[in-house]
Amino acid sequence: MNKFTLLLGVMLFALGGCQQADEIPETEAAFVLPEVVTLADFKLTHPRLGEYGIENTRGKWSLFFFGYTHCPDVCPTELFMMAEMMRAIEKNPSVVVQPPQVVFVSLDPQRDTPESLQQYAAFYHASFIGITGPQSTVDQLSKEMGVFYERVYHRNGDVVTLDSEEDVPEELKDSYLINHSASIFLLNPAGDLHAIFAPPHDPNRMIRDLAVIQGAWR
Amino acid sequence: MKLNIVRALGTFLLALCLFTVNAGELVVTDPWIRSAPPNAPALGAFMVLENHSGAEISVVAAYSSLAVDRVELHRTMMADGVMNMVPQKSIPVAPHSSTVLKPGSWHVMLIGPKKVPVMGQVVQLTLVLDNGTKQVVAATVRQGEKMMGEHAHDE
Repeated sequence: MNKFTLLLGVMLFALGGCQQADEIPETEAAFVLPEVVTLADFKLTHPRLGEYGIENTRGKWSLFFFGYTHCPDVCPTELFMMAEMMRAIEKNPSVVVQPPQVVFVSLDPQRDTPESLQQYAAFYHASFIGITGPQSTVDQLSKEMGVFYERVYHRNGDVVTLDSEEDVPEELKDSYLINHSASIFLLNPAGDLHAIFAPPHDPNRMIRDLAVIQGAWR
Repeated sequence: MKLNIVRALGTFLLALCLFTVNAGELVVTDPWIRSAPPNAPALGAFMVLENHSGAEISVVAAYSSLAVDRVELHRTMMADGVMNMVPQKSIPVAPHSSTVLKPGSWHVMLIGPKKVPVMGQVVQLTLVLDNGTKQVVAATVRQGEKMMGEHAHDE
């Protein structure tokens, strides 16, 4: 577990929430929160489902990943990893209690429309859901889950960080990058944040942890 | 006819030039481009750069046969769970050593492709080295691989 996850765990523990089961299941890589975190409702947009909020996560296990389509390296890698995971589950459904729903949240609504995001996400796996919406909503959700991100651009070897509120200058529209957490966040069927998978990720390890966590729930 | 001769001569000279570079110092193996959604704003290209010489060689620029807005050299680095994508001025390859361009590490970024290439498509990449020579490699589009998992090796 890295420093970031540990800090997040302590932070979330301090915030409090509903009590997890008495016994925290033993996982290989996932960090199961000592207490689940109830997330505030949010309203993001999906081109087919329309409004997408906490309600849409109820009744299934969801894996949330935050990124953006201009993402040069990390997002394609993580989305491909989760697609591999889904293909392995499809091939052998009994490896988990219930297949998860993968949700890709864009941190970059200034460039990603719900349509372009969904097209991007579905390329990796047809079941993937891409959602985005107002920057303030994205910020609220990512903050609650403990996602760190910053928008930066590089000029003459210097890194310049844009303020979170700041609109991106026109000339930087195609060139700013977003440094962001590469963790994957598991929501349980009650819509509460349940566990965090810090990188690096491996599809088979994800499946094994998912099965253990799902098996221990309720 | 005359044009054909000129073209043939050009091809011959180009081949000769490539041969010279290959025979010397930098050998590029397994160049590939990661398959991406049809609306992907950026593509990653990866390969292994082997330096068979006794001096450091750097790739200082790259361009592609695919129409793109620009090509950049990047490196992904992780700090405390946050992934940072950092543009690089060059990709160094130490003497008698190799640098692996792979997901989650060094890579060549094709930014703003006019049309995203499909699986199996071949894209020519031209690497510009610090000694001024150029090397053309044929990168095939294929599916992404696991990054920096426990199976990955550091260069």
